[in-house]
Amino acid sequence: MTQSDPIFRLEGVTRRYGDLTALDGIDFVADDNAYIALLGPSGSGKTSLLRVIAGFETPDAGRIWFQGRDITDLPAHERGIGFVFQNFALFPHLTVFENVAFGLRNGAQTLSKAELTDRVRTSIDMVGLAGLEDRNPEQISGGQKQRVALARSLVMQPKLVLLDEPLGALDANLRERMQIELRSIRERLDVTFLHVTGSETEALAMGDKVAVLDAGRIIQYDTPDTIYDGPVVSDVAKFLNRFNLFDGTFKEGVFSGPFGALPVSNARKNNSDTYAIRYDRTQVFDAHDANLPGPALPVRFLASEYLGSSIIFLFETEGQKTVEVDHHLSLGEPRHLTVGERYTLSWDPEQAIVFGKETAR
Amino acid sequence: MTATSRIRQKKTTFRLLAPGVVWMILFLIAPIMMIVYVSFWTQTTFAINSSLTLDSWKNFFASEAYVGALWTTIRLWLIVLTLTFVIGYPAALYVGLMVKSKTISTVLLVLCVIPFWTSFLIRVLAWRPMLGKEGAINIILLKAGIIHTPIEVLLFSELSVIIGMTQIYVVFMVGPIAFMLGRIDHNIIEAARDLGAGFGRIFWKIIFPLSLPGVVVGAIFVSVMVLGEFATSGALSGRKVNLLGNIIVTQVGSLKWAMASVVGVILTILLGIVVAGFLRIVDLKREI
Repeated sequence: MTQSDPIFRLEGVTRRYGDLTALDGIDFVADDNAYIALLGPSGSGKTSLLRVIAGFETPDAGRIWFQGRDITDLPAHERGIGFVFQNFALFPHLTVFENVAFGLRNGAQTLSKAELTDRVRTSIDMVGLAGLEDRNPEQISGGQKQRVALARSLVMQPKLVLLDEPLGALDANLRERMQIELRSIRERLDVTFLHVTGSETEALAMGDKVAVLDAGRIIQYDTPDTIYDGPVVSDVAKFLNRFNLFDGTFKEGVFSGPFGALPVSNARKNNSDTYAIRYDRTQVFDAHDANLPGPALPVRFLASEYLGSSIIFLFETEGQKTVEVDHHLSLGEPRHLTVGERYTLSWDPEQAIVFGKETAR
Repeated sequence: MTATSRIRQKKTTFRLLAPGVVWMILFLIAPIMMIVYVSFWTQTTFAINSSLTLDSWKNFFASEAYVGALWTTIRLWLIVLTLTFVIGYPAALYVGLMVKSKTISTVLLVLCVIPFWTSFLIRVLAWRPMLGKEGAINIILLKAGIIHTPIEVLLFSELSVIIGMTQIYVVFMVGPIAFMLGRIDHNIIEAARDLGAGFGRIFWKIIFPLSLPGVVVGAIFVSVMVLGEFATSGALSGRKVNLLGNIIVTQVGSLKWAMASVVGVILTILLGIVVAGFLRIVDLKREI
C-alpha cells in the first residue's frame, strides 16, 4: 500500500435484488484513519453497502478496493475487514474471552498461547470489560455485548471496521456514552470506522466525515458542519431533520411559496423546487408585526416541546404544513405563545437555501 | 405472606399436581414395579407362582442366547444410531441451514414425514421386495451388469435389519437437528466468516456445537425406539437376529412371564443409562 492509497474505494458498485436496485453505481473514496458516518433513511441501501464491502454479498457490477488491492472477488474471511452487527451476533455458546479469541484461534494466523491471551486481554481491557472474561453472552447487558462485539473485531487489528447501526439496540443513555467511547477507541488505534446509522444526530455527532446515502446513491460526502450548513440537495436537508422545507416554484430568480414570492440570488441544482430554512434560524413574530427581517409566513401555534437546552415550537401553515422553530434558551427566555393563536414566522433570507430545477446564475 | 395463605398455596399446588401424579403412578410407576416384582417370581413349565426366586435372572445370564441378544441389541443400536446420524446430519444441515426460504425448508421436512402416511409394518415389509434375492436392487444390479449372481446377504440378515431400521428412524434424527440449525442466527455465521474462519472451522466451532441439543434429542428418539425394537428384526432378519424385544415377544407368547419381565427390566435399565448418558452431554433445559 502506498501512502496515497485511500483505505477503501468503491467504483460503480451496484447491487440489485430482483427488480429492486439497492446500490446504484456507488463511487466512494474513504478517508484513511477517520470516523465515517453513513447516514441514510431505512431502505436507502446502507446495510447492503456494508454487506458488499464486508464480502457477505457480491456486487452485480463495480469493484471494491481495500488498501490498494481489488478485493471484489475475495471471500469474506480473507478480507480482514471488521464487522460489528446490529444484534451483536455473539457466539452464544462461548464465553466473552472465547468470543474475542475466536478470530485469533480460527483465522489464518497462528499465535502462541501467551500471545493470544495477551492480545485478547488487551482488547477486552480496551473496551472496559476486564473481569467479565468468563461470563457467557446471556449473562451480560446489552452495552457489554456491544463492547464484546467491538473487541472481537478489534483484536484482529483490522484497518477498517464496519459498524451496522451499532447503537440501535441500546437505550438512549447508553447510546450517548457509547458514542463517546467508540470515538475515543477509534482514535487510539490506526483504523477507519464506517458507521451506518439512520439517526442524523448520531451521524453528525460521531462522524469526522458524513456520507449521505439515498436510494442507493451517495448524494453528499463531507464534514458534518459543511453538510449541516450546506446540504447539496433537498433530500439531504430532509434527512438532517433540521430544516423547514417549503415546496414552491422557482423561476427566473424568484421563488414563490407559501410565504409569497421572493427574489433569490443563488439556487442549488435539485430535482424539485424547494426552499429550506433551518429550525433555529426561523423566528416568531406577532401576526401583524411589520418589522420583519424577511418574508412573512402566516401560521397558527400548535404546541411546544421542552428539550432542556432549547424549546421546539410547532406551527401549522394555512396549507396544513407543520413548521418547526427551535429556540435555544441561551438566547434568552422564549416569548409566550398561545395555542391556536395566529403568528407570523420570518427569517433572514440570506440564511435560507434554495434548491431549484433551474439554477440561478 | 401469612401462615394460612402459605398453607392454602401449598394445598393448591398439591391439587394441581394430583392428576399428573395419579396418572404417572397408575400407568408408569405401578407397571414398572409390577414387572420388577414378577421378574422374581417362580416359573415352572406351565405355571407361575409368586414365591420369590432369583432363578429367572440366573437363567438369563447363564444363557448364551439371551446374553448374546443383549449384545446384538447394543451392537445394532450403535450401528443404527451412527448411520442415522451420518445420513441425517447432512440432510438436516441442508434443510435447516442451507435452504434460505422458510417455506421450502418446511416443505422438505414434510416430505421427510410422508413415509409415515403408511403403517409401520408396511414400511418394514416393503423392504422385502426391495432387498430379496429377486428383489428390485438385485434386478437392477444384474441388469446393469455390475453383478452376475444375486446378492443374497441383502435380505434375512443383520444387514437388512440395519437398512430397514435406519430408513425408518433417520427422520427422527433429521427433525430435531434441522430445528436447532434453523434457529441459528445467520449473523453469527457471518461474524465468524468476518473474523477469518473458513467453512470447516465455522462448522466445527459454531454450527455443530449450536446444533448439539438437536443431535442429543434425535439420538434419544432413535435410541429409545431402536432398543425396544422387535418388528423390524422379526420381519427382515428371518429370525436370525434376536433382539431383547424379540425375546420378550417369544417369552410372552409362551407365557413365560418371569423371563419376559427379566428382559423387560434389563431393557428398561439399559434405556435409562442411555438416555441419562445423552442428557449429560447438553443441558436441554437451558436450550429449549
